[in-house]
Amino acid sequence: MAEFEPVLSRNWNVTDGHTLKVYESRGGYQAARKALTTLDPDKVVGIVKDSELRGRGGAGFPCGLKWSFLPKDRKETFMCVNGDESEPATFNNRILIEKDPHQFIEGILIACFATKANTAYVYLRVEYFHAYKVLEAAVAEARAAGHLGKNIYGSGFDLDIWLHRGAGAYICGEETGLIESLEGKRGWPRIKPPFPAIEGAFRKPTVVNNVETLCCVPHIIERGAEWFKSIGTPKSYGPKLYCVSGHVNKQVCVELPLGITCRELIDKHAGGVWKNRKAKAAVPGGISMGLLSAEELDTPLDFESLRKPGCLGLGTAAVTVMDEHTPIIDYLYNCARFFAHESCGQCTPCREGTGWLYKMLKRIKAGGGRLEDLDIMANMANNMGIMPGTTICGLADGAAWPIKNGVAKFRAELEEYIKTHQDPAYGATTLQAAIAKGAYAVPHNGLPPVINSVPTAGALRSPHSA
Amino acid sequence: MATIIINGQEHTLPEGEKLNAIQMAKRVGVDIPYYCWHPALSVVANCRMCEIEVGSKDPKTGEIKMIPKLVPGCQTPAKDLTVIVTDSAKVKEHQRMIMEFLLINHPLDCPVCDQAGECGLQDYSYEYGQSNHRFIEERIVNPRKDVSSAIQLNQDRCIMCTRCVRFTREISQTGELQVMNRGNHAEIDVFPGHPVDNPLAGNVVDLCPVGALLDKDFLHKQRAWFLSKHDSVCTRCSTGCNISAEENRGQLWRFKPRFNPQVNDYWICDEGRYSYKAANDPALLSAMYLRQNNDLQPAPIDQALKTVGETLGRIAAAGDITAGVLSPFLTVEEAYLMASYIKGLNAANILALGPVPTQGHDRTFTPDQVKGRNGDTSFIVPRPFTIHAEKCPNRKGVEAILEHFQGEVITWGDFEGRAALGDFKAAYVASDAIDPWIDNERAASLRSKVEYLVVQDTTVTPLAERADVVLAGATFAEKAGCYVNANGRLQYSEAALPPRDGSLPDLDVFAILLHRAGGPVRSQEILAELAEAVPAFRAVAGGRVPEFGVSITEPARVGVAPFPFNDPWNESRVQVGAKNA
Ligand SMILES: Cc1cc2nc3c(=O)[nH]c(=O)nc-3n(C[C@H](O)[C@H](O)[C@H](O)COP(=O)(O)O)c2cc1C
Ligand code: SF4
Ligand code: SF4
Repeated sequence: MAEFEPVLSRNWNVTDGHTLKVYESRGGYQAARKALTTLDPDKVVGIVKDSELRGRGGAGFPCGLKWSFLPKDRKETFMCVNGDESEPATFNNRILIEKDPHQFIEGILIACFATKANTAYVYLRVEYFHAYKVLEAAVAEARAAGHLGKNIYGSGFDLDIWLHRGAGAYICGEETGLIESLEGKRGWPRIKPPFPAIEGAFRKPTVVNNVETLCCVPHIIERGAEWFKSIGTPKSYGPKLYCVSGHVNKQVCVELPLGITCRELIDKHAGGVWKNRKAKAAVPGGISMGLLSAEELDTPLDFESLRKPGCLGLGTAAVTVMDEHTPIIDYLYNCARFFAHESCGQCTPCREGTGWLYKMLKRIKAGGGRLEDLDIMANMANNMGIMPGTTICGLADGAAWPIKNGVAKFRAELEEYIKTHQDPAYGATTLQAAIAKGAYAVPHNGLPPVINSVPTAGALRSPHSA
Repeated sequence: MATIIINGQEHTLPEGEKLNAIQMAKRVGVDIPYYCWHPALSVVANCRMCEIEVGSKDPKTGEIKMIPKLVPGCQTPAKDLTVIVTDSAKVKEHQRMIMEFLLINHPLDCPVCDQAGECGLQDYSYEYGQSNHRFIEERIVNPRKDVSSAIQLNQDRCIMCTRCVRFTREISQTGELQVMNRGNHAEIDVFPGHPVDNPLAGNVVDLCPVGALLDKDFLHKQRAWFLSKHDSVCTRCSTGCNISAEENRGQLWRFKPRFNPQVNDYWICDEGRYSYKAANDPALLSAMYLRQNNDLQPAPIDQALKTVGETLGRIAAAGDITAGVLSPFLTVEEAYLMASYIKGLNAANILALGPVPTQGHDRTFTPDQVKGRNGDTSFIVPRPFTIHAEKCPNRKGVEAILEHFQGEVITWGDFEGRAALGDFKAAYVASDAIDPWIDNERAASLRSKVEYLVVQDTTVTPLAERADVVLAGATFAEKAGCYVNANGRLQYSEAALPPRDGSLPDLDVFAILLHRAGGPVRSQEILAELAEAVPAFRAVAGGRVPEFGVSITEPARVGVAPFPFNDPWNESRVQVGAKNA
């Protein structure tokens, strides 16, 4: 494989790289010009399809395929760009917009041309004030220079870009939550079908793409699908911006080919684990994706390989490293708190489950844990989310995965924690004691006792029930 | 025609019917539990109670492919060759999980909750829940608050199904209710100064599957299981909404809507909802009165009726004219008997229509299919709901009878005019109106123009005070019979209360005056006679009225009536209907 050449980040260290002048002087908007003046929309969709570009927003859905789901006879199409970037420890979209807004705009332009969208909404996370300012200025520049507006490059294609700032809810990053929020409603994800491609923003066919996904598009048009596929691992092609944070020496956002291993990323690009410690675990791609244990750090960070260690997927490729001093209970507690706070409250399993998990972990952390809590948590985590089919959106899966991975991979540590951290302030309730004695061991209704997995007799550990 | 396989059995669904899995299963007697779904509201699939296993059968190979995960039944269309499994261990386990989740923050205060006995949580806990409780954390205690002067919200009981929110967005389109906050702190609320006070507000209480939204008028007054439910029709306006009139110990306690796709769907307006109170009024007429020594004295029922019969008979024999006034509050059976009686005395006697009360303008709520929330509305047939300005139940029915007997309808105004000219020797005014309908001045002028005045009513009106005979008739709650609504639909309304002491149902009054043999009459008998005698009423031959009524003047607003679907926790209300069918 030839030496990897970063493209997404190529203007980041150039003086005034965010200005139109510098961007154009470095070959900017040539891909858009090529697409608009020499290709037709279906051709562009075809190229992106051939490149097998997969969405960078979390789900990894093939971008070209998504575009081709739009109904052929549509009259109006909207493009929604997902810049809500709320997954903890993820910050590549912010840097992409702040450092090279025109690359982003060029990506939007080509994507809108391909999908015949004349209006694009950029949904920006509200905290990204600087990014908003930069993008606003860049859009104005691009419009003045004829890269946006009416009849762009004489091709007859019109495009307007609107910036929309969120109000600080994680759930508005979910594509239909985003659309609802954009429409001025409460950010509650919609049921699918209908998918946004059929009925999205304002009930019109809509494409939702992540910022980074669109930033890849100009390079694909410029250099071709074959070039794109020469980077990365099978089924995960192209460059990717990895964010590394947590207990490392250097917290970075770095562009690398997809499929780099987590260990290489930490050791080579983030300066290794801090304070000369060892890594205990790492979050592979935003906390929704679960947890890699120290032994699993050689897993390639791409769309396919992360399933093997039981993670949900690549997510946003935001790696958070935990050193050996980090208690797993703290990690679980923080994850649970985040999701309990961010669950939109629509689906019963997510609304109640995230809240319950949070309270349970809080109790365990404070010294009121029982061993059977681990089973209850695992049982709950296995049954909430779109994977088991019990919720509308993937937030619940994200809430479940840290618990699932954490309990499976660090059960011994958690049990040890529970046993050694018993606070007499948490006495057993009568019911707890009865359950511990097995008084409810026989299901009354003849159904398999799975949900209500009855704790084994004596599982309850409390100073009062010895 | 579509073939749908439910729990291994093949069932067919006729062409043109669009059902989801819940409805399809119900149709063949299989229950899929649900909370948030409602047949008239958009599908949001948020409660997750109705999850089932879904698949499809290959038409050629017969091979069945199942979707590996659970799917909400509300969101699953019953298409040809859909395979539905509702009774697998996986589904049952899921139902138990949802019940556990829904109850972790629920106060379980059934003993003091109005919804107990007709509560989705209670019923499903029993059927699909579990007796173990694994939740030992502290519960969230949400506040109790008023969302209007008539409706209270016990937020801690709410299960966030958002039915109430969707109703105010999609049906009343007033949007007062919102979800506030996130996650398990989410609450239903209103904005300050914008209570849920739209004319349809009370429906949110009926929609609420649990005891969260409560009608303050009914609060803590009765337990649901003590109420006997009667399939009735609201008489407050000419829409004729189908209601369940609910009674205990000789008193009405509330009206609840009953489904009728041709009339009111699942709704009633607040004015109708609270109109039950008139039937409990302690001032209702409790005896018949005869004028003696220029004063009205209570008289035994038979004596009062005998006096009326003899006097009107004498007037007729003398060749003098009696005018009968039939109010639009009479049932068609009562109107038919009264008209037969008056015309039978003297063919030259005159029949007039009583005052038709009106108020404001008709107000129509057309369900919003687009602007509503994010839910799927594609399957809903939008049926508008109208509150009519005409505040009586049966103008059309009475008019049809008047036209049959004398070829024209004489209005109350015309009647007053002719009475003022001294055209009538006697007048027999049957009213039963809910509101005061005549003032002193008009009552006095009418009185002065007729020699003999019989007033049949439920309250003491200025006209009754001046009458020679006052007959205590039946309130809307005490009479059984049919009304013809503004769209020409004839509907049967069952009596919810027995006749008050001292009164006699109007139908019996006329039967006695007509010397009908055979004791108390049944409205069905009369309706059968009416159907034979008056061509306009042919549709109810034999006195049989179909479940959703029958159109006698205009075509039905819905061709094929949609599959009747009622929330299972409310089903007792429906079974009453089945009993009468
Ligand atoms: C709870 C939740 C939060 C999400 N947040 C984001 C986000 O902040 N940014 C983003 O690009 N995608 C986010 N997604 C993924 C989007 O739903 C969607 O898949 C993505 O924007 C599609 O773009 P892509 O195909 O270009 O990746 C989120 C998904 C879920 C379930
Ligand atoms: S899964 Fe959670 S966050 Fe997603 S729609 Fe349901 S309740 Fe909201
Ligand atoms: S108040 Fe009742 S109807 Fe409204 S969301 Fe809560 S449970 Fe549902």
